[in-house]
Amino acid sequence: MTAFEVNGRKVDLEVDPRESLLAVLQDRLHLYGTKKGCDHGQCGACTVHLDGRRVVSCLTLASQVEGREVRTIEGVAGEDGTLHPLQRAFIDNDAMQCGYCTPGQIMSGLACIAEGHTGDDDEIREYMSGNLCRCGAYVGIVAAIRQVAGPAEA
Amino acid sequence: MSTAPARVDARAKVTGALRYGADRAPESVAYAAFAVATIARGRITGVDTEAALNLPGVRLVITRFDPDELTSPGFIMTGGYGFQSLQPLLDDRIAYRGQPIALVVADTPLAATEAAELITAAYEPEPAAFTLDAPGAETLVQAQAIPIPMFADTAVGDADAAFAAAPVQVDVEVSGPNQHQVPMELIGGVVEWHGDTLVVHEGTQNSGAVQNGLARQLGISPDRVQVISPSVGGGFGQKNSLQPHIGPLAIAARRLGRPVKLVLTRPQTFHQASFRPASRQRVRLGADSSGRLVAAIHEIDQQTSRHDLFPAMYTEVSSRFYGIGAFRGLQRLVRTDVQTPGYMRAPFEHIAAYAMESAVDEIAYATGRDPVELRLANDTAVDPVSGLPFSSRHVAECLRRGAERFGWAERSPRPRSMRGPDGTLIGWGVAIGAYPGSAAAAIARMSAHDTGTVEVAVAGHEMGQGIRTAIARLVADDLGIEIAAVKVGVGDTRSAPQHLTAGSWGTATALPAVHAALRDRLGVPRTGPVDMRAAVAATGGSRIEIEATSVARGQPADVVVDRLRKGLLAIAGPEYPEFVTFSHIAHFVEVRIEAATGRVRVPRVVSVADCGRVASPVTAASQVRGGVIWGIGATLREQSLVDPRYGGFLNPTMEEYPIPVSADVHRIDVDFIDEPDLLLNPVGVKGLGEVCMVGVSAAIGNALFHATGARFRRLPVRIEDVLPHL
Amino acid sequence: MRSFTYTAPTSVADAVAAIASAGPQARFFAGGTTLFDLMKLGVERPSALVDVSRLGELEVIDTSGDDHLVFGASARMADVAADPVVLRDYPVLAESLWRAASQQLRNMATVAGNLLQRTRCPYFRDELYPCNKRRPGSGCAARDGIDRGSAVLGTGDACSAAFAGDWPVALLALDAVVDVVGPRGERTVTLADLHVEPGDTPDREHSLAPDELIVRIRVPVTPAGRGSTYLKIRDRESYAFALASAAVAVTLTGGGVVEECRIALGGVATRPWRAYAAERAVTGRPLSAETARAAGEAALAGARPGNLNAFKIELGERTVAEALRIAVERAGR
Repeated sequence: MTAFEVNGRKVDLEVDPRESLLAVLQDRLHLYGTKKGCDHGQCGACTVHLDGRRVVSCLTLASQVEGREVRTIEGVAGEDGTLHPLQRAFIDNDAMQCGYCTPGQIMSGLACIAEGHTGDDDEIREYMSGNLCRCGAYVGIVAAIRQVAGPAEA
Repeated sequence: MSTAPARVDARAKVTGALRYGADRAPESVAYAAFAVATIARGRITGVDTEAALNLPGVRLVITRFDPDELTSPGFIMTGGYGFQSLQPLLDDRIAYRGQPIALVVADTPLAATEAAELITAAYEPEPAAFTLDAPGAETLVQAQAIPIPMFADTAVGDADAAFAAAPVQVDVEVSGPNQHQVPMELIGGVVEWHGDTLVVHEGTQNSGAVQNGLARQLGISPDRVQVISPSVGGGFGQKNSLQPHIGPLAIAARRLGRPVKLVLTRPQTFHQASFRPASRQRVRLGADSSGRLVAAIHEIDQQTSRHDLFPAMYTEVSSRFYGIGAFRGLQRLVRTDVQTPGYMRAPFEHIAAYAMESAVDEIAYATGRDPVELRLANDTAVDPVSGLPFSSRHVAECLRRGAERFGWAERSPRPRSMRGPDGTLIGWGVAIGAYPGSAAAAIARMSAHDTGTVEVAVAGHEMGQGIRTAIARLVADDLGIEIAAVKVGVGDTRSAPQHLTAGSWGTATALPAVHAALRDRLGVPRTGPVDMRAAVAATGGSRIEIEATSVARGQPADVVVDRLRKGLLAIAGPEYPEFVTFSHIAHFVEVRIEAATGRVRVPRVVSVADCGRVASPVTAASQVRGGVIWGIGATLREQSLVDPRYGGFLNPTMEEYPIPVSADVHRIDVDFIDEPDLLLNPVGVKGLGEVCMVGVSAAIGNALFHATGARFRRLPVRIEDVLPHL
Repeated sequence: MRSFTYTAPTSVADAVAAIASAGPQARFFAGGTTLFDLMKLGVERPSALVDVSRLGELEVIDTSGDDHLVFGASARMADVAADPVVLRDYPVLAESLWRAASQQLRNMATVAGNLLQRTRCPYFRDELYPCNKRRPGSGCAARDGIDRGSAVLGTGDACSAAFAGDWPVALLALDAVVDVVGPRGERTVTLADLHVEPGDTPDREHSLAPDELIVRIRVPVTPAGRGSTYLKIRDRESYAFALASAAVAVTLTGGGVVEECRIALGGVATRPWRAYAAERAVTGRPLSAETARAAGEAALAGARPGNLNAFKIELGERTVAEALRIAVERAGR
């Protein structure tokens, strides 16, 4: 059995060694906010936090998550439904179109802010480049992260 | 920030709550996977499925369907429903690499995938052609191969004579690559039977075609097929018709008595769905010495498949860019051994604009005129092809306003004359774009409740363009109610007949009709806000239901509504009985080329669009930025590579097919003319999602010329193309 | 993907024992960003994975020493990139890390695993094509194919696939070494000896035995770190592999003459490529545009282009010259 936490809840599952964390989130736990865009670490749509750090869940073996904490987009808003300021900022800046990459962008954006990679907009762009958006919502995404991170360093 | 309302589905998108086609696992769901052909053309002589069948958890392996259980859906451009006519798994023919040769269904995704990998096949390969010039590629003149007026070549006056006599001539050849749409959402869904009814959850831009196509394929009534696709994770044309995996899934689900889920792999989406065909264009432009354009000849070779003719429609738009009195088009199709290519955002217009607007730029340099001024001088209020007026055309205002915002007056015209302090080569370029304004028949259903809520169901698919938001806003504005009181249902064949959603604006036509009918039924005035709660209560009931049907100008109502109900294309335009409609745009681009290494960057773009009334300002601006980014990708990044020894595509991944990333994107300023086009429809909207990409490539190409003095004839322009010109 | 067993030992000794007992098809597994990816593609088919990503003893980052910077094998790329000493004194190392992959992948990938990253040649990554690296003796589809990404240095008849990494290129420029533990004990391998050219055996990419585990990377402390850069040119601004890259580190005399110079190349060679001739071309001279260009030309001397990658010669030369300019500017601060 592999035991870990997802969004603060304990999970205990028999996993196949071949299963990715992404597959477990979607097919076993039915948490569909984490998206599959490539399954090879090339798009960032499946970004989650593992022990507080952003990773791509498609290249994370579920077995490797034993004893660790996973946070997905479903765990970002408050229990009462209050949006996180970054979720609010994504809405304010229309940082989305089709929405498919949006959960990964937000998980990545939260980490980008926590890491302190928001010194200027070019730094945000660089550190958000692991999250592809085919609709091209990048301008709004950078603006949303800037809004939450505070003004750029001079 | 704008005070305009945000997307109505924004909260669901930022919380991960929004469900796309494959985001579900019904009780006892089984998982499917395809094994695919490793040759590009020939015959299968045997498929070895034994190892797959022996794998624990494997329930079904199908290599061939009987003709009485599955047939071709037909090709969408010839009265059918499929992205191509060829339905895999019906015979022993292989027509393209990556064609499915077996369908596996298993209890888990892992078992299905592993089983598919274990399937091997023996083949009799045949010589195949993949590129426009390959031996065995067959070239047809489109007007002869598809003798339908819609696909005929455009011709006005005697273009050859006018060109020969023109004192200024340019002759431009452009080659356009294969490209793929690469929506973030993979192709796939969940198929299940509820009794005799087939229920399909699948991300599609055309649930009506999926519904009716499956009915045809399976020999059942369309009433027995429900297609549910309220949210699509990007389509860009790749999801505009029935995909050939769904029919097989339906049969597998019936045989197993279980729901079946399939999500194609990313490489499979490059090989089992449409893509932008390779093209080659030659544009000859003639002008007088003042730069007045007098003749244009536009010739195109466009790739198609061996089994379908994907019609080319380049000259419909290139003939309308300017008021050129003599125009001759020639569109040829080249059959190759690929799956059928198809629509990818601004399918013809984007690359046609690259050729035309590069040539116009050359005329400007040849005649010593400013590129903006030359374009203004060649503008027209009358369609040069039909002689009809444009229902609206604000090209000049787009150019003037864009030039002002960009600071075009500061441009030094001579190539290589603008440099940064570190030697960076700076180029400023301009181009315009146009896209046909179409309209479709639509049926809208609306119910008003005594709670004050209004539910509206209409044809349309939400794929990021914001249609749900635009509809909610229109209904709220027209009825004078809160936007939150409007519930919009799209992409669901259970609530209203569904038409292809691709740059057409059927909903704009349908909504005013349904509003008027609703007001009449409620007995309230034709204008002014409605107290919905009171008005519904006054009828004595708790809800009022209204259905309204509308057709585009000049459409024969009975014919098109029947087509709409059958899931067939029911589009009119851009030529209507009294006018011609196009959307327009002007793009101004700055490129910077790092002198040391040749890296090209696009720090600044200004785009001014003429799309009629702006139905939803927030989503519209996002859409234009997206189109500009698509233009950057199409010009400087994207190419689906073909190795002529193997066929298929060599780089079918999100790493090797380099769509733009955040670091590629800088300032994109967007503005709108925002003048309603009330001739086209009562709301006054024209399409925006496609036109916003048209002309971006040409503006970049013209900026590259300004920076380097070199013309780039082959897209994408990559670092090896730029290095010789530093 | 075929089935495999998974074990997660808790010490280096257990890991080495586990790999020995798991048979010849067993593989060490760390961040997974290369190996899991290749397993999904069917290119790698291990029978057993021994997970070494959570061995606490291998996660150390110690940049306080007088002789060496020490990076435990399981330290994550993102963490080393963010180390204050690395950021301040060794920009070539920091840039080679943060210009690789994405932050998500750098949070997963270990600094040792990244040394053994495999090529991104498209013919290697798809079983459809013949590939001497993936299936020895099957041929090379790239050779007469679309070889735009292939190497021009260190090429061979059997394979010219480009080495894909960035960090190993920077390490090579700084004369790093790796400490390796195996059933036969511990040994030290220089970066220069770690990777091998394809020759007739392109499936063999490095000099480690399958049962040997890298436990740490040591980088000699050098003042050249301050005057350094990793310049990476690619098909988009970020999140892409190098078409050409250069790791350059220099020191200057008080008079602005290049005293010491190290240059290594990525993207253009079949292995991390040290360009000694280029180093000699600038050492003992003040850097000018001419000497920088001469160094670039020396770095790419002997390059052998294929069908579509001749541009990498000029691009490589320019990348070296520009990286030299940046490094010298930093050294002069």
